[in-house]
Amino acid sequence: MSVDDTASGGAHPWPRLTLRLPLVMVLLALVVLFFLLDLVLGSVRIPLSSVVSILMGNGSDIEAWDKIVTYIRLPKAVTAVLAGAALSVSGLQMQTLFRNPLAGPSVLGISAGASLGVAMVMLASGSAANAFAIRQLGLGGSWLIVISATLGAACVLLVVLAIAVRIKDNIVLLIVGIMVGNITVSLISIWQYFSEPEEIQDYLIWTFGSLGGVLGNQLWVLAAVIGIGLLVSFAASKSLNVMLLGENYARSLGMSTFYVRVTVIAATSLLAGSVTGFCGPIGFIGIAVPHLTRSILDTSDHRFLMPGVCLMGALVMLVCDIIAQMPGSQTTLPINAVTALIGSPVVIWVIMKNRNLKSSFS
Amino acid sequence: MNSALLQTRDLEIGYRIRRPASAAATHGRRYMDRVVAGHLSLTLRQGELVCLLGPNGSGKSTLMRTLAGVQKALGGQVTLEDREISRMSPKEMARKLSLVLTDRVATGNLNVYALVALGRYPYTGWMGRLSEKDEEVVRHAIESTGIRRFASRHISDLSDGERQKVMIARALAQDTPVIMLDEPTAHLDLPNRIEVMRLLKELARKQGKAVVMSTHELDLALQAADRIWLMGAPGRDGTPADMVSGMPEELVLDGRLEGAFKRNGFEFDRHSGSFRIHHEPEETIGLVGDGAEAYWTRRALERKGFRVVSGPDIPFRVEIRGREDERAWTYVDGRGGVHDCCDICSLIDALEQRRGA
Repeated sequence: MSVDDTASGGAHPWPRLTLRLPLVMVLLALVVLFFLLDLVLGSVRIPLSSVVSILMGNGSDIEAWDKIVTYIRLPKAVTAVLAGAALSVSGLQMQTLFRNPLAGPSVLGISAGASLGVAMVMLASGSAANAFAIRQLGLGGSWLIVISATLGAACVLLVVLAIAVRIKDNIVLLIVGIMVGNITVSLISIWQYFSEPEEIQDYLIWTFGSLGGVLGNQLWVLAAVIGIGLLVSFAASKSLNVMLLGENYARSLGMSTFYVRVTVIAATSLLAGSVTGFCGPIGFIGIAVPHLTRSILDTSDHRFLMPGVCLMGALVMLVCDIIAQMPGSQTTLPINAVTALIGSPVVIWVIMKNRNLKSSFS
Repeated sequence: MNSALLQTRDLEIGYRIRRPASAAATHGRRYMDRVVAGHLSLTLRQGELVCLLGPNGSGKSTLMRTLAGVQKALGGQVTLEDREISRMSPKEMARKLSLVLTDRVATGNLNVYALVALGRYPYTGWMGRLSEKDEEVVRHAIESTGIRRFASRHISDLSDGERQKVMIARALAQDTPVIMLDEPTAHLDLPNRIEVMRLLKELARKQGKAVVMSTHELDLALQAADRIWLMGAPGRDGTPADMVSGMPEELVLDGRLEGAFKRNGFEFDRHSGSFRIHHEPEETIGLVGDGAEAYWTRRALERKGFRVVSGPDIPFRVEIRGREDERAWTYVDGRGGVHDCCDICSLIDALEQRRGA
C-alpha cells in the first residue's frame, strides 16, 4: 500500500501548512481602510486628505478638525482596534480550551465580575453620577471605574483560577465558570433592587459599552495590557493546537495541561477584563469573530487563526463603531447594541454559506 | 530485534480512594488502595505486537494508563528503556511512548497532514514550526499508514476507519519506540479491523516498534499478536485479577484463555480459537458428511439445540450428499422415515416439524 501511495505521489501533493497570505493581506487592507473611514465619518465629515494630513502631524485647515481627530476619533478608533482584537482572541482561546462553540470571553464570569466592580463603586459613591460624568468628559477621574472593573474581574478570575487548579476536567470548569458568573450577576441585581433609579441609570449606561471614553494615558495602559495579553496568547498557539486533540492526547504529548490552562485563563482575563474595564461589557464580538475567521481562513491552526482573529476582530469592531456613530447625524447608538444587531446576521450568513463551522467542533 | 523496552516489576495497579470519614478514624489513614491487579511482571520487546485482552472491568485501561505514566502505580515499578517512568518528565515520556486513545478529536477544520504534524509537538520549538526533519517524519508516518491519498482532506470528511489510521499516523509521527492503543478496532467494520491490525503488525515488524493494544477482538488478536497479556476478571469479593502473559497458541492450549472469559452460556472452542454461544442440547443427532457443508450444517443444528455427533450409526441423523451445485440433505427420522431436503433451511423446517409432532 505504501508503495502505491508513493507512486501516485504526483496525484496527491503534500498539503502546505501555511497561512493563506492573500486573504490576510485583504483583511489587513480592510482594517486600514475602515480605520481611516472611522476617522473620516461621524457627525462631522472630515475629508480623507485632511485626516491623513492630521495623522502625518501636519494639521489641517480647520483647527476644530485637528482636535476632533486627535482627541476624539483617533483614540476611539485605536480603542476599537484594541478591543476588537482582544475580545476576539480571548473568545478563540475559550472556545478551544473548553471545546465549546458557545464559549466566549464572558464565559468565566470575567465580564460579570467587572460589572460587579463597577456596580459596587457606584453604590459606594452614593450618587455615581459624579464619577460617571467625569469619565464622560474624558478626564483622569474615570480611573475609578477602570480600577473597580479590573478589580472585580480579577476577583472573579482568582475564584475561577482557584477552582481550575483543583478541577481536572475542563467541562466541569466551564460549568463552574458560568455558575460563578451567575452568582455575580445576581449580586448586581440585588444591588439594583435596593438602589435609586439614577444610580441604576448610570450603571445601565455603562453596560451599553463605549469606545469613546479611553483617552490619553488610559489608552497607553489599555494598549500595554492588551499587548501583553496578545503576546501570551500568541505564545500559547502551539499548545492550543494540541488542545484540539483533547486533554488526554495533550498530556500524552508531554504538554502540561495545567500550565496551559492557567496561562490561557490569565491571558483571557487580561484581555477581556481590561476591555470590559475601559469600554464596558461588549458582547458578541468574542463569540462571533473566531467563528467568522475559522470559516473564512478554513483552518483550526491557532498559529494562523491568532493573527487572523486579531485582524477580523479589529475590522468588525471598526465597522460597528462607524455604524454606531450614524454618520451625518448628531446621535450615536450604544456600541453593544450595534455589535450584535449588525454582526449576527453577517455571521449567520457566512456560516450558512460555508457550512464548516460545525465540523470545527465535531 | 528483541531487547526489552518496557518492563514492569511486581506492579500493582488501581486507584487510591478516599475513605469514608468514619473508616478513616478507625484506620488512621484517609486513603485506601483499591487494587485492580497486582504482581504484574511484564516485558515488552522491540518489534513485538502485544494484545491486551480481558473482560470488561478487568483493568485493561488502568494498566494502559499506568504504563503510559498517566496514572500512578500503587506499587512496584515500570521501567522504560531501563529508566523508571515515575522519574521521567512528561516531555521525556512523550518521546518514548505515544498513545492512540478512544477520545473523539474535535479538529474538523484541520487537514490530515496538520493533525499528524501535531505528533511532532515534543520536538518542535515554541511556535511549533516544523523543521525539514519534522516534515520528513510526518510524511513517512503518513506514507507508512497508507493515508497519503487523503492527506489534504479535513478530518470531519473521513470515515471512522480512515480516522483511526490518521490517529495511528499521528502516534507514528511522535517517533516513539513504544505505541499504545486503546481499543483501536472498536467501532470499525471487519475489513477496517483487519486493516488496522495488519498495519500495527507491520509497524511492529518493519519499523521495530513495540505495540500494545487493548482489544475485544479475540480471534483477530489470536491471529496477529506475538504475545497476549490476558487479564482475568476480578473476583466477586474484590480480589484483584490475575494476569497471564504468553504466546496466543500456548494460552489457548493450556486453557488459560478459556478460564479468563468463562461465563455461563459461553463455550470456548479450542479448535477454532473462538467463543461460541452455548446452547443447551435437547436431543442428539448424527451427521454424515464432510467439508464446509458439514461444518455449517453442524452450526445450524447446534443453534437449534441439537447435540451433533458424527457417524452413520445414530438412528436419527442427517446425511449430506453432493457438492457445490448439487447439494442435498437427507434426514433419517429414526422411525423408518427418510426425508430429502434441498437446502439447510428446509432441513431445519422439517426437523422442527418433527419436534412439534
